[in-house]
Amino acid sequence: MIDFVNRPLVRLLLVGLPALALQTTFFAEVKIFGVVLQIMLALSIAAGLAGGSENGALAGFVFGLMFDLVVTSPLGLSALVFGAAGWGAGYLHSRAIENPKWLNAVALGLVSGLATFVMPVVANWIGVEGWLSSRLTKVIIVVAISNALFSFIAVPIARWSLAVRRNQRLAPPAEVFL
Amino acid sequence: MPVYSVSRRRAIALLALSSILLITLDLQGNSVVHGLRNIFSTIFEPVQSSTRVITRPLENAWRGITHYGELETENERLQDQLDQQEGAFIAALATVRDAQELLALNGIDNLADISSVTAQVVGATPSNYSQTIEINQGSDRGLRVGMPVVNAAGLVGRITWVDNNRSLVLLSNDSLYAIPVQVVNQPDMVPATTTTTTTTTTTSTTTTTSTSTTTTSPTTTLAPVAPLVTAVVDPNALTTTSTTIDFSGVDFGALAPTTTGVIVTIAPGTTAAGPTTTINLDDLPVAETGIFRGRGIDNAPVVEFIDQNSRFGEVQVGALVITSGGSQSLAPRGIVVGRVIKIVERTGTSGAVLEVRLTAKLTALNFVRVLLYQPVATGTP
Repeated sequence: MIDFVNRPLVRLLLVGLPALALQTTFFAEVKIFGVVLQIMLALSIAAGLAGGSENGALAGFVFGLMFDLVVTSPLGLSALVFGAAGWGAGYLHSRAIENPKWLNAVALGLVSGLATFVMPVVANWIGVEGWLSSRLTKVIIVVAISNALFSFIAVPIARWSLAVRRNQRLAPPAEVFL
Repeated sequence: MPVYSVSRRRAIALLALSSILLITLDLQGNSVVHGLRNIFSTIFEPVQSSTRVITRPLENAWRGITHYGELETENERLQDQLDQQEGAFIAALATVRDAQELLALNGIDNLADISSVTAQVVGATPSNYSQTIEINQGSDRGLRVGMPVVNAAGLVGRITWVDNNRSLVLLSNDSLYAIPVQVVNQPDMVPATTTTTTTTTTTSTTTTTSTSTTTTSPTTTLAPVAPLVTAVVDPNALTTTSTTIDFSGVDFGALAPTTTGVIVTIAPGTTAAGPTTTINLDDLPVAETGIFRGRGIDNAPVVEFIDQNSRFGEVQVGALVITSGGSQSLAPRGIVVGRVIKIVERTGTSGAVLEVRLTAKLTALNFVRVLLYQPVATGTP
């Protein structure tokens, strides 16, 4: 049983379900300047920062797919964007020699803003119109700042969900050894 | 520079391709995607419900902190509005009843004939892009995908996903929402050529109102008009007016089937001679058909693809937008959508676009009504 729970995919689901529940209830109602905060996106990027690009892509795909299953947007759209965001965060993380908390916060904020912009662009590309609007600037700013602040909680949660051990965390990214 | 192994690249490429495959399947309306959503909903629903119970007090506290002043002001404003509406409501009820009787007499469906289910809004959209709400009724109460959702003010949206006891409603301002509508100029917006003569009487103390209607063809419908008017006048210096409409020389057969009109004659008790108001029948309320489409939270919805054969030039700002119904439409005829607030002319053959202000306030929904209506093409109303 313990082995089963310790599997990263199972842990991702264990974290993802309550996070999605929070996203669809509390965060759907509690808006900042009319913008819904995106904790599923934050967790996807945090997974990239905590576990590298591959884990980030996997976590982003899983969290994005879960998010897609409860909203009306095309299934797979958030999975694609969140997965890419997780991968990108992991790549950024691998480029730094050290990753202090403030740098994680900056990276999470920047990647969140970029993903928030990319989402309507991809949606427009596949034929979903109306998402690209003047309001997008406000959404990007609010989501980027809130997710940057959320990084202090999100990165440790992502680290646990990916079962990243302390010695792995403090070692250089796995990619440099390959 | 990090180096990626082939297996890692493959894993990431596989995830990306899976996403693209899912998007393709969903956009093509594959039933597997629908099944996936239903299975996930079954797993997720208990978690979501529990979380909702836990977080509700926190949400209420947040609303209390951030919106208290706003709510107080709005409450006062709504109280004033309520007082104003009370009188008009009673008059409107009588008019609606008359209209329903006439529709029934002519064998035309009206909204009162359609069963409905009242539902409470239990959730808002968790996304910054799509405009949806979650309601606490589902297929157990007969709800189906596509059914129209309304509230007291007008059209709210349509059901886009249904589970046993909850549903998602796509709001009418979402960019994926579209529905055929009619644009109807209101009688009070009709310009009229008026000749006024004023006379004075000495006996009348009140004005009385009588209403007469005319039906010009079997499919002509009657629109609700101004409420009954009662006024106290000064018998010493009474000035009264009378309105009559001259129909001489009018070819009733040539009127469009959708022409809507009501003739109101206000006749004071004793009036020797009154003014004469002549309404050009070409200026009577006109119904134009088009497609209503949402454009997201910060853009006004529009009506486009206006019927090029109709008398579009007569649509004015303030005209009423209602659903047009029809065998293919997902909503019955007559649901109020909103009012035209702007007419944007476009060059070429694309025609003008009407910007619409919705009558239903979509940001403050609490209870909604789902009309158990399905178009003739897919089911029985």
